[in-house]
Amino acid sequence: MYTLTGVTRTYRKDNATVTALSSVDLVIEDGDWLAVQGPTGHGKTTLLQILGGLDRPSSGRVTVDGRDLATLREADIAAIRAASIGFVFQTFNLIPTLSALENVEAALVPLRISTADRRRRATQALESVGLADRSGHLPSELSGGQQQRVGIARALVKQPRLLLADEPTGNLDEQTRDEIIALLENVWHDRGLTLVLITHDPAIAARAHRVAQMRNGRLTVRSGQARTHQ
Amino acid sequence: MFFLIYLRRELLRRKRQTIVGALGLAVGIGLVLTVTMAAAGVKKAQADVLHALYGIGTDITVTAAAPPPPKLGSSEGASQGFSPGQGSQHVDVLGLPPGLGPLDATAVESVSHLPGVSAAAGGLLLRDTQLDVPTVQEQSTPGWRPSQKNLGVTFTVIGVDPGRTSLGPFASAQLSSGRSFVAGDTGDDVAVVDSGYATANGVATGSTVTVAGTKFHVIGIVQQSQGGGAADVYIPLARAQALAAFQGLPSLTGRVDTIYVSADSASHIGAVRNAIAKVLPTATVTSSSSLADAVSGSLAGAASLASNLGRWLAVGSLAAAFAVSSLMTVSAVSRRVREIGTLKALGWNTRRIISQLLGESLVTGLIGAVLGVGIGLGGGLLVRRLAPALSATVAQNPGAKIPENVRIDDTGMHHEAAAGGSHTIAVHLTAPVTLTAIGLAVVLGVGGGLLAGMFGGWRAARLRPATAMTRVA
Repeated sequence: MYTLTGVTRTYRKDNATVTALSSVDLVIEDGDWLAVQGPTGHGKTTLLQILGGLDRPSSGRVTVDGRDLATLREADIAAIRAASIGFVFQTFNLIPTLSALENVEAALVPLRISTADRRRRATQALESVGLADRSGHLPSELSGGQQQRVGIARALVKQPRLLLADEPTGNLDEQTRDEIIALLENVWHDRGLTLVLITHDPAIAARAHRVAQMRNGRLTVRSGQARTHQ
Repeated sequence: MFFLIYLRRELLRRKRQTIVGALGLAVGIGLVLTVTMAAAGVKKAQADVLHALYGIGTDITVTAAAPPPPKLGSSEGASQGFSPGQGSQHVDVLGLPPGLGPLDATAVESVSHLPGVSAAAGGLLLRDTQLDVPTVQEQSTPGWRPSQKNLGVTFTVIGVDPGRTSLGPFASAQLSSGRSFVAGDTGDDVAVVDSGYATANGVATGSTVTVAGTKFHVIGIVQQSQGGGAADVYIPLARAQALAAFQGLPSLTGRVDTIYVSADSASHIGAVRNAIAKVLPTATVTSSSSLADAVSGSLAGAASLASNLGRWLAVGSLAAAFAVSSLMTVSAVSRRVREIGTLKALGWNTRRIISQLLGESLVTGLIGAVLGVGIGLGGGLLVRRLAPALSATVAQNPGAKIPENVRIDDTGMHHEAAAGGSHTIAVHLTAPVTLTAIGLAVVLGVGGGLLAGMFGGWRAARLRPATAMTRVA
């Protein structure tokens, strides 16, 4: 369970202080699906980075299962990311020199599992997103939708507890968008993970169990209660 | 292994950058290698000078400074002049060459018992001067000019201990006809003649040569594998000592003027040299390294060029190559911010990411080392092909200056190197390829790669994951 208490994040930019997050309080239960909406530049991505341990709050507390992220070393947070947090990016962020299979394998490298096991799990993850026949292809040889499927396979291969998706359909056409959202919804449902999804699209937000609005660094949960698929 | 797959793919993706980085390092490494090999060549040339003068196997030589000349007006000084008379005179003088003094032969035994010495032998390097002194009448004839015989014909003679021919210049002489010395030759008038002198003077095995007015039976002809530093005629040491006495000069019986020393290990040469200097404090003790300081001529110029200009050129270009390689790596990391941020999001810790970057730089460095070895070998080949023949001039006593004569004529006073006061050896500069040089190239390549990787890693470590992700999102 994630608990954010009075989380504020400020940056120095051109001799001015920019407040990306302002006193955010949020509880994310295990198995929750939270969609975050809001205009560009109002702190959505910063919230996602704080949840993923990629950034630390300027003030306030972030606890994961009772552990304060601020007290953990960078290496410990990296270990948590490696084991239990999956990221899905708007621009896919695949390593251009690695094949689809190797990109998925990259997520397992920090877990220090055997090469054969890593290969087997990566292959299964690609199969689960319907790309078994594209495993040897480079990202440049895949369509946008296929690249995002590889990105989702990469996020899921480690069997994370938390999936953080930053506008995963932002660069896709409508049909592919629906396929990807259906895929994420199925994964959330089947695997029982927690999903935090940033989106501009009200249709996607409507499928989440909770929708939060981010404006000027302040978070407002607009609808629903913290519900899970159980 | 994922590390290698990723490394290979990244290097291939940035092929041009990899090649440019490796080539930059290669040029620096190649230059260092060339200069190192040329410096090794100069060292070898210096060792060749020692071996040409004193024979292969000689690590150290011991010589003594010449005694001071007799005072003007003294009886010794007066007895050394040649006075033209009514009848023709032929003079054949065997004496120490200018600049070289005698050592007591017992010093050979003292040196041979020093720790680290495997063998020591004494030799007597002498100069035989033969001249015809013109008569008073001849000199007063109008238009008379002195002939070469009037001016003097000289050749070098070395007295060799027939029982110890394995050390010294005679040891490296190859017998081309006849026989070498045997222990029984000690008191005999027998000679072994250098092939160059034999050819020039029509000497063959079985003929005779005259040394100090004594005819020596030629028992063999030898050829020196090294340059022309060897003597013209070799005779038994005892005969050389006996014949070298001339008029008022001190007798050389029981004396030598050079001691040839072989160390039991190359690493002991310095210690042996110091030990000899303690036993014989007034003597000049010379090894190939100290001989370098005593050499003049183009070899000295080449040594100076290699150690000064060459070294700084190589260091400068290597530093530039390292800097370029490091900047390129930092620049590459800056272009891979998105990728590094993604890896951090996947759970890769900073150490793993730095290892990956270091690996890429290391491979670039190793490619640079391999190419650098190629460039270095090419540079070495150029040195061997293009280097002019060098000459090395060394005083008979390497610890002293080359003795000079003063000549006065209508144009003034002229200082000239005394004939026989020095050796001049022709040396060819090589650039030997050594394992040390190859090892140096690998070390420099790895070092350059690691340095560049460290800069890249430093840049990557400074990247906050969130910053990288901000650029991504």
